[in-house]
Amino acid sequence: MTGCGLLLSGLVVFAGLSGRAAGEVDPGSLKKHALEIDRQVAEFYRSRKLSVPEVADDATFLRRAFLVAIGRIPSSEEALFFLEIEDAGKREQLVDYLLKSPGFSSHMSNWAFDLVRVVDRNRGRSHNLPYRHWVREAMADNMPWDEFTTHLLAAEGNGWDPATAAVGYYTRDKGMPLDNLSNSMRIFLGTRMECAQCHDDPFGDTERFDFYQLAAFTHGQGFMAEGLLRPLYQEVRDARMERPQENRAMEVLWDQVIGMSLDGGGSGSISLPGDYQYRDGDPGEVVGARTPFGRTVRMSPRRSEHDGRRKLADWVVHRTDAQFAEVIANRMWKRVMGKGLYEPVDDYKPAAQSPHPRMMALLASIMVDLDYDLKAFQHTLLLTRTFQFATNPEVSKVEAGDDFHGRKIQRLSAEQIWDSLVTLAVGDPDGKPRRGLDTRIHVGNRPVLVGTKDMVQLSREVLALKTREEMRAYFDEFVRATGDSRQNPRGRNEMAVMSSGGPSYGRGAMVRASELPSPAPRDHFLYLFGASDREVVEAASREPNVGQVLSLMNGVVQDKLVNDPDAHLYKCLEGAGSAEERIRRLYISILNRPPNEREMEWMTDELDARGGQGIRNVVAALVMSSEFLFLQ
Amino acid sequence: MSNNPFLKSDEPTRRRFMATAAGTFLGVHLGPVAGPMVAAAAPLKVPEGKAKHVIYLFMAGGMSHLDTFDPKPKKKEVMGKTTAIASNVDDVMVGHYLPETAKVMDKVCVINSMNSTQGAHEQGSYIMHTSYGLRGTIKHPSLGSWVTKLGGRIHPELPGFVAIDSSPELTGGGFFGAKYAAAPIGSPDEGLKDSHRGTEVSEEDFKRRLSLADKLNRQFHGRYPNADVKAYEELYREAVALMNSEDLKAFDIRKESGATRRMYGDGRFAQGCLLARRLVEHGVRFVEVQLGGWDTHYDNFTGVEGRCKQFDRAYAALLTDLEKCGKLKDTLVVVATEFGRTPEIKEEHNGGRDHHPSAFSCLLAGGGVKGGVKHGLTDSSGRKVKSGAVTVQDFNATIAYGLGLPYDKVLMSPTRRPFSIADEGKPVKELFG
Repeated sequence: MTGCGLLLSGLVVFAGLSGRAAGEVDPGSLKKHALEIDRQVAEFYRSRKLSVPEVADDATFLRRAFLVAIGRIPSSEEALFFLEIEDAGKREQLVDYLLKSPGFSSHMSNWAFDLVRVVDRNRGRSHNLPYRHWVREAMADNMPWDEFTTHLLAAEGNGWDPATAAVGYYTRDKGMPLDNLSNSMRIFLGTRMECAQCHDDPFGDTERFDFYQLAAFTHGQGFMAEGLLRPLYQEVRDARMERPQENRAMEVLWDQVIGMSLDGGGSGSISLPGDYQYRDGDPGEVVGARTPFGRTVRMSPRRSEHDGRRKLADWVVHRTDAQFAEVIANRMWKRVMGKGLYEPVDDYKPAAQSPHPRMMALLASIMVDLDYDLKAFQHTLLLTRTFQFATNPEVSKVEAGDDFHGRKIQRLSAEQIWDSLVTLAVGDPDGKPRRGLDTRIHVGNRPVLVGTKDMVQLSREVLALKTREEMRAYFDEFVRATGDSRQNPRGRNEMAVMSSGGPSYGRGAMVRASELPSPAPRDHFLYLFGASDREVVEAASREPNVGQVLSLMNGVVQDKLVNDPDAHLYKCLEGAGSAEERIRRLYISILNRPPNEREMEWMTDELDARGGQGIRNVVAALVMSSEFLFLQ
Repeated sequence: MSNNPFLKSDEPTRRRFMATAAGTFLGVHLGPVAGPMVAAAAPLKVPEGKAKHVIYLFMAGGMSHLDTFDPKPKKKEVMGKTTAIASNVDDVMVGHYLPETAKVMDKVCVINSMNSTQGAHEQGSYIMHTSYGLRGTIKHPSLGSWVTKLGGRIHPELPGFVAIDSSPELTGGGFFGAKYAAAPIGSPDEGLKDSHRGTEVSEEDFKRRLSLADKLNRQFHGRYPNADVKAYEELYREAVALMNSEDLKAFDIRKESGATRRMYGDGRFAQGCLLARRLVEHGVRFVEVQLGGWDTHYDNFTGVEGRCKQFDRAYAALLTDLEKCGKLKDTLVVVATEFGRTPEIKEEHNGGRDHHPSAFSCLLAGGGVKGGVKHGLTDSSGRKVKSGAVTVQDFNATIAYGLGLPYDKVLMSPTRRPFSIADEGKPVKELFG
């Protein structure tokens, strides 16, 4: 695609998309909801006797819509096309186009990975790659939020099976089920219970007893078939020096099959801890599950039940009144509008106590009406006039919340900056295949049985075994089958399995952040700009530091973009005759707006003084500019 | 104190003056020789504290006090697989995973009576770093930012605060702003990434780029007078000064001999400790190095053994090396963590230990701290503090005191709320001698 063909290619990009429904949701209902929101905002302005903010110009809208909806700036082609067509409905059409882009789920995946703390590896030899893949696919399929929540909270079974890979939500936190539960409450209900893990919350009304009653729902997170394999595991482990090959085979079964499974469905009872300090219970006393608010759900400590996690999921989603819907609606409002109606978004305020009670109630009702379809919900917000309000340079008048006085300026997330740079360096990154899941069996570091059996099948077989004898026989056969590499079938089958798994992108790949290793390595651009390490919930940072500036001046930005003559960005210059035209195209590609007169003068002076090198200097300066790093 | 214009908290004013003076009158950069001279002029001389620098080693995840610096050799059920070994100080014992550390305990003051109110990682590590609880409405400056703010930088071009392998959330400038945030280092081997102009870019073009970017940034900042926008504008000036510094080599551990590098051992943490020593030698005020992975809910003993392999040799080498180059006496070496681990061993988690904020251990060494000393006591199973309790805030006040900084000085946030480096904490003065 060349610069000359911008307009034409733009037409191709947008062709046939306008006027069609997003997904299966009726576009009319989205517009209706958007209008309800705008009316509510207008009502707010009337009641405060304030003038309604202006609407942002096309260029600001373009950049904002791209970054908010799909997490990157438009490519030159996309930008130029939008800016040049004259069509009253073009903003709506752009939103429609963005929500159909694969970039939407890429951007959502970063959000989900931060929220539920998806990391590729645990300490030790088990990992979370099937779970990561599951979350990524759930975002790609736009799985409704209530369904997603239920899958995670009620998870049980084989970590490799695509139907149950959500168990990674729990196995990721192996050995720390109480922290996991605190996080669940914070993520899905905006309820903070960390304090109550150890003592009654002095600032809230949650008591330690309540916390343990809630924890009882998820208690009993064992591994499947652990007892069947353990004696054999000990035996092989103790003799690992003499039996190295068996030991490597055992690592597959013990760490990657059993260690990635989740047994039982939550027992519904739990013992109070040894240091329990209040009069309502004794250390070691067994208590039954009971929910702390909403419509009460209980389980008896005397009955042996196995569906505690399912009951918990059902309570979170269906029995907490409007809380579940309000929390996710507020999270989505923040995502699209920049600020939550109340913040922090994980410290729930019932609608009546929030700064905008009617708006909060309206958003929750829209969320329910759209069946927790997060894409449709964001679509609705993107269609509002409120989303289009011009940028307000002032800080919010509501401490830590939205004051509806126009959009606040904010630094982009690390992922938005990275994905935008990738767009400039290699062009639209959304045509590339998503990161795949390698399901091959690795003994040591060597793939085995390729084309014959993969981890999904192996794990299903192992977890279906019934006795220690069967387990031992299976293990012996597995050792025999994988022992001699020369016996492994190779060749065409290997290719088939690998390609079905999709590509695996290393840390240096110029692809979307969502497809790179998680978390970003500590010396990666993403980490430097504040990407979350995904150890705690939503730990991403937008704090500036000197390393970021060094990176923009001298680092990957220079290597992959400014100083690389093959960078995609420079293709937009083909056929541009005058210096003015070249500068205009660079501005549209990088800042997505034409230069003003003063800037045109600065930049033409630069080209006059430095010729071809001047082009690079202009590119470097534009990428180093604050305007590039901030969302207006 | 307030009458002396040199003792004000806003160090950059003075530093800018120094840099300008050097640029204008001397026509040269402030080189390595100038560093210590500047340091002598810095507002450090509050009589009690001898330390100028801090090396803050943060054991992220919650280091088990029982398996490291507060072993209970008489209680087998508490110790599990860990045994206590003697150190080079009579009544100080350490876990058997720390043979090298055992040989330098004469330089170390162990505080066994640490206690925190926060039992979750995020809150626990936040309060350790800031002295305040985590809030949704304000970001508190990190300890390194406070030290740089109150004590000023030592070297005019090198950052006052460097964080190696740490997380930006814990090493941010908070309401002091980006100029007090740590310069982050992701890989000790690479040093400060991207601190050299690429070979493809001539000096002239580099300057032209900066000048164009500066025009754009002023224009943007004029339109949006926002603190974060301004921060980036200022960081460019900072970054350029750093790039031009003669002392940029402080970040390059490849300049160390093979023998020295081996003495610290392999691994990021070990090499991070070596880099910390280099940075301190060149006049960086505060260096934080993080060692993660202490969250040993599951199979605590294997976990602690693995962590100690990273820690043990590096820590012993750091103290020995600092002493050898004469910097131990003015460098406070801190080992901190967010909480300890439970005396109970969870068999169902393969011998795991859970979080335990009500008693844990931290270490101080160098910078005028008495060595070979233990402060505070826990009960026979290490569950509760029996005497000499030190809160998180007391601990941070002690660090400030060791540096001769006004630990009770109140500074206002932009929202006009009062804060100080250690909140209401009181220093444990008897640790210094």
